[in-house]
Amino acid sequence: MARLIAGLGTSHVPSIGVALDAGRHEDPDWKPFFDGYGPAQAWLREAKPDVAVVVYNDHGLDLSFQRIVPTFAVGAADWYGPGDEGWGVRDIPSFAGAPNFSWHLIDRLVEDEFDVAICHELDVDHGVQVPMELFWGRPAEWPVRIVPIAVNMLCYPIPKPGRCHRFGRSLGAAIRDWPGDETFVVIGTGGMSHQIQGARAGFTAPDADRAFLKDIAERPEILATLGREDFIERFGGEGAELIMWLVMRGALDDAVRTIHTHYHVPVSMTGAGMILMENGSAGTARQESTRAA
Amino acid sequence: MDVRDRTGRAPGAGPEAADALPDVPMLDRAHQRLGRPLNRMAMSLNSAANRALFKRDELRYIDRFGLSAEQRRAVVNRDWREMLRLGGNLFCVLKITSVDPYPMTRIGADQRRMEHESFVRDVLGKR
Repeated sequence: MARLIAGLGTSHVPSIGVALDAGRHEDPDWKPFFDGYGPAQAWLREAKPDVAVVVYNDHGLDLSFQRIVPTFAVGAADWYGPGDEGWGVRDIPSFAGAPNFSWHLIDRLVEDEFDVAICHELDVDHGVQVPMELFWGRPAEWPVRIVPIAVNMLCYPIPKPGRCHRFGRSLGAAIRDWPGDETFVVIGTGGMSHQIQGARAGFTAPDADRAFLKDIAERPEILATLGREDFIERFGGEGAELIMWLVMRGALDDAVRTIHTHYHVPVSMTGAGMILMENGSAGTARQESTRAA
Repeated sequence: MDVRDRTGRAPGAGPEAADALPDVPMLDRAHQRLGRPLNRMAMSLNSAANRALFKRDELRYIDRFGLSAEQRRAVVNRDWREMLRLGGNLFCVLKITSVDPYPMTRIGADQRRMEHESFVRDVLGKR
């Protein structure tokens, strides 16, 4: 039987990819940020999950300002290319898909009345690329297959936080029902607090971010009762991306064990954070590495 | 289009500069619709062939997309704040920086009409 072994949350700031391309992860500006991912990388090397479901939003590549904007879209492709976001295709491997599971997931979601868009082909942007690099580095090929789930975060109306959480419940059920013997992780990406455009440009909220890193593990149902405007107010126009972590959290059991959290602000114009939660074990063994600057 | 439509602010919300940015552009539908041609043009730069065309003859390239005269001027002047004011989404118009590099945090500072250094220090809290 398939098992969901962990949920991870992480920011997906594009400048992280730029820093990796330039080999700047040892620079004083960047090292404290990248070092915070060491424990999660070590955990993943040990746990060796087979499939990563990556919840992300598209930013002007394929699904956000083009002809059609789906609220929820699920990848069902054999491969997902790293897309050209305007600076050329980055030198990272393509991502192998898990199409049989994708179709099983789509069946389950539609059965549960989440009428998702189906992506026969899909290129993925920094929303998928950067989290994969943060957790698995720069391998010759990725050690996990992926199932991307894209959530509309740029063209209002974005989905409601509670809807994201319930979507995650269906995702978790689909993993538990999957007859294969693969192990899964679910990655919620985006956030944390940032607003890059508008009169509030430059807004970050480190205290709210740190509270979120606790609440997403311990009290996700409270977060799921908040409104979209609450997320925008609390975390910024783009920081509302944190609702995608609720998809990840909804897939997990009620009880999780927090293995590691990390927070660093600012990364570019963003409060950047991560969490690794083991699924289904009570209690917490919290290790934090938090640093502002 | 009046100022209220562009900013998404209710009437009586207080004096507002005529060229104010919306608080949260995403919530301002009139603003989003205004930006459609500009965002389409900017997104087209996801293609290397289009980037080459843009570099070769920018005005001719831009004119394929039906930008307003104001939007066209903002692009040509690389006036990032103005591009955003006229409905550009930063994730889209940022692609123009692949042709003409300009740091993201400078676009942030421009929106606040601040010096870059004080924006990074006082708004972003970088130490």
